[in-house]
Amino acid sequence: MTSERKKIQPTVITKPSGFAILQVVLIPVIAALNYVTGVIINLLKLPLFMDTWATMFGTVVAGLWVGIAGGFLYNIVMAFTFWGLPAWVWGFINVFIAVITWVFWRGGWITVKKPIKLVLAGITIGVLNVIPVTLINVFVFGALPTYAGTSWIYAIILNQTGSTISAVIGSSIAAEIPDKLLSLILAAVVASRMPARYSLRPATK
Amino acid sequence: MSSTALKILRSGYVRGNTVFHRLDGRTKFLFFLWISIFNYVFYDLYFSLASLAIVLTLALLSRIGKIVLSVISIVAGPILILGIIILGGPVGFPPNRTPLIATIVFGHQIGLFLEGTVYVSIWSTRLAVTITAALLAYLTTHPSDLAAIMLKSRLPYKFAYAFLATVQLIPILTNEISTIYQAQVSRGLNLQANLIQRLKSIVVLMIPLTLGAITQTQTRAIALESRGFSAPVKKVMLSDPKFKPGDYLTFFAMIVFTAYFVFLIYTRGLVPFMQGIEYLRPGG
Repeated sequence: MTSERKKIQPTVITKPSGFAILQVVLIPVIAALNYVTGVIINLLKLPLFMDTWATMFGTVVAGLWVGIAGGFLYNIVMAFTFWGLPAWVWGFINVFIAVITWVFWRGGWITVKKPIKLVLAGITIGVLNVIPVTLINVFVFGALPTYAGTSWIYAIILNQTGSTISAVIGSSIAAEIPDKLLSLILAAVVASRMPARYSLRPATK
Repeated sequence: MSSTALKILRSGYVRGNTVFHRLDGRTKFLFFLWISIFNYVFYDLYFSLASLAIVLTLALLSRIGKIVLSVISIVAGPILILGIIILGGPVGFPPNRTPLIATIVFGHQIGLFLEGTVYVSIWSTRLAVTITAALLAYLTTHPSDLAAIMLKSRLPYKFAYAFLATVQLIPILTNEISTIYQAQVSRGLNLQANLIQRLKSIVVLMIPLTLGAITQTQTRAIALESRGFSAPVKKVMLSDPKFKPGDYLTFFAMIVFTAYFVFLIYTRGLVPFMQGIEYLRPGG
């Protein structure tokens, strides 16, 4: 008989009980919050989209996968119910934003305690987001002016450069930077007000 | 935009017993993908308009025409108008050569050009076709069938739950935000304030909404677990969708038309019907 004995390991709880189910339940909440923000923006008559703030919030309070899934799901639901097939590709913007937000969160930049870092992170997300927004605008929407608020910028750049792609980039910069900056600030503020017992991840350093 | 989208999400399924209602959800979804893809392949306004006429007729026959037309006018309408003004006009869209309507004002030629107008019309019509096809699939499929179809298509159970829960949650959260909004207005929230003040108002509306929604996730999680959501067993659905003769007929029609479209691409290229119009890449 072998004398080999299995070492008895102590039970290590890495995740709280019910963690996975809470994450699954949180995904539709993130998607719905992204949508409802549009309703609020309409009520307040603000020249913004803000439909990615909940993706950032979900990434901060519940992890990267919740942010990605919630953000992507929002676009899937909207593509099916309102925007039509091409709109599902906007889901990649939400994935992109969730990933960058996660990187900044890991670095300890997304906290209301460090407002300068928070603002810099918001501006960086806005600038980086211009790349996928331009790609989607060109290949899915034919580089047309899709947003009335920045169409005058689009027209001026097109007139000066003769390039629809430059016009899309210019109007995207004007729309994305303030939008993503304010979305990130909102996500950080709401996350800071959330009781710790509801957070599905440890607090930042 | 939000109110129309909300109306769609609230109504969800439009009851009926039309031909399109009786099709399996997978067939409708495949039709939605099929017609959308071919609309993006061809650069032809006649083709796009014919596709739009077909999907709009189906929408009218399925009694969802009113919703579809209102969505198209909200989503594709502004893109068409803005696009024609900017790209169809004399702003500087490089492919513009052939004037449609032109006049000289103070020594400058103003008017519309054929190339830009056609370009914008094609892209806007493509958008209208995909919107209509998506709404046809969504509004004529019962939510329980939608969940069953997702599972039958081997999508994860959790994804099917998340999709349907989102559709249900949006109207609930929208009702809550109107309650919170009214409470905040009674506490002095000023909608006529300057931009900075209105931006700050987002925070006072979003914090109670988000915290309320997060609190409810605990209850929802317990409710799901009490019904064995995470149980490692095969899930049973209320309905078991099966293909019917109408579905096979639709598949057959799609195969025949796909063959015809491939033939068109080989013989006439990506602009099969329009004369004197060159194919323009995305972005012109």
